[in-house]
Amino acid sequence: MAPCGTDETISRIVREYSGMLLRLACTRLASAADAEDAVQEVFLKLLTAPVVFRDAGHEKAWLIRTTLHRASDIRCQTEKRNVPLEEAAQTAAPEPGNDLLRAVQALPEKYSAVLHLHYYEGYSMKEIGKLLGLPAATVGTRLARGRERLRQMLKEEIT
Amino acid sequence: MNWGDYRKAMDALPFSPDFQERTEKLLRLSAQNEAEKEPFAMKKKLFHKIAAAAAVLALLTASAYAAVKLLSPSQVAEFAQQPLLAEAFRSEDALVLNETVESGGYRMTLAGLVSGAVLDSWDQDVDRSRTYAVAALERLDGQPLDQQSVSLSDFILTPLVAGYTPWSVNNWTLDAAVCGIAQDGVFYFLLDVQTLEMFADHTVYLAFYEGGVPSREIFVMNGDGSIQFAGDFAGPHALFTLPLDAGKADPAAVEAFIADSGFDLDWFTGSTSQSEEPSFTGQGDGELAEAPSVELEEIPSGET
Repeated sequence: MAPCGTDETISRIVREYSGMLLRLACTRLASAADAEDAVQEVFLKLLTAPVVFRDAGHEKAWLIRTTLHRASDIRCQTEKRNVPLEEAAQTAAPEPGNDLLRAVQALPEKYSAVLHLHYYEGYSMKEIGKLLGLPAATVGTRLARGRERLRQMLKEEIT
Repeated sequence: MNWGDYRKAMDALPFSPDFQERTEKLLRLSAQNEAEKEPFAMKKKLFHKIAAAAAVLALLTASAYAAVKLLSPSQVAEFAQQPLLAEAFRSEDALVLNETVESGGYRMTLAGLVSGAVLDSWDQDVDRSRTYAVAALERLDGQPLDQQSVSLSDFILTPLVAGYTPWSVNNWTLDAAVCGIAQDGVFYFLLDVQTLEMFADHTVYLAFYEGGVPSREIFVMNGDGSIQFAGDFAGPHALFTLPLDAGKADPAAVEAFIADSGFDLDWFTGSTSQSEEPSFTGQGDGELAEAPSVELEEIPSGET
């Protein structure tokens, strides 16, 4: 694949992946501004590392995994400053949301990522397995357990 | 409530309308800065290489060489974005090996090994045990290796087990994944494979070589079950013996592994004519005729 530092590649990766990565970061972060910071850092990391991917699938998988790691790091830093996610969400700029989004954000990342990739991005279990480096069966287990946790959190059936 | 509400909530998140434009500008500026820094970085690297090469070749044992010159297994795991595995490589359970073989113009080093519960941060709830190994590849002429010069399809790092044919117990049948990381002219392999400890009452090897799927052209299994490279195998190669704890052997797990494979026991033990290796068409996803494919992944380097 083309070197990451060319104008053409920069435009392509930003336009192709920004939306997906921002939304994915928001499964871990309550603030859209924090998500933007995380995704910019991931793009910078991609640019400055001597990266070569075998194909676009590997590029996407790397971006997804790195975004999740970075978003989780930011979340940990926030929590270490004794600002729980719920409080951070309240003190951040008021952002529209609903109970289900907040419940997904409160799940452990191994559940929130697969739920989001499946229910928002529309990836199959097999595709999510390839993106996250997991067996498809494990993705299925996490979807089921994640949904169950959400049910318990929301006290109602998710259709 | 339903997932439609979730999608609507996601769509309503107030991301900056100029995020893409700002980010493209930021990246272009960063790329420009990197390009301006490059000539100085190259000179500095070259100086260090000359100084380091002279020192290590003159003074260090192979083990000390690996410890000084190479990334540690935990550092390699960190590059691969696997913090739990990095921690495991730093633990007392990890085996630090740093065994080096020079062959075919390359220096091949088995740096370390750790076995246990799944250590990938994405895999914590998977009920299976894995073995992780880190090996390093360098050119003896000092030419740096990078992502372009090493193909994970050409250089193979695979376990083999004495008493079992090399074409029956290897990466392709043990659900392995290999990722490659280039750093400072050294190419590192991080192998993630179904636990090897179950075979610990046999001699367990890690074969590192340039070639294809394990076959009779590459390996010979002797009458006592030991395995070696074929006498006429000409490519760079090394065969490391793993110091596993025989007490951790699990014959029942090995039996289940063989039963689940769908192949006859003879194919594993090489005891009859049925032990001929299957006809492989190559390496990589979907290219094997009869055995599961190994996952190959290249991981970017240079992250901190």
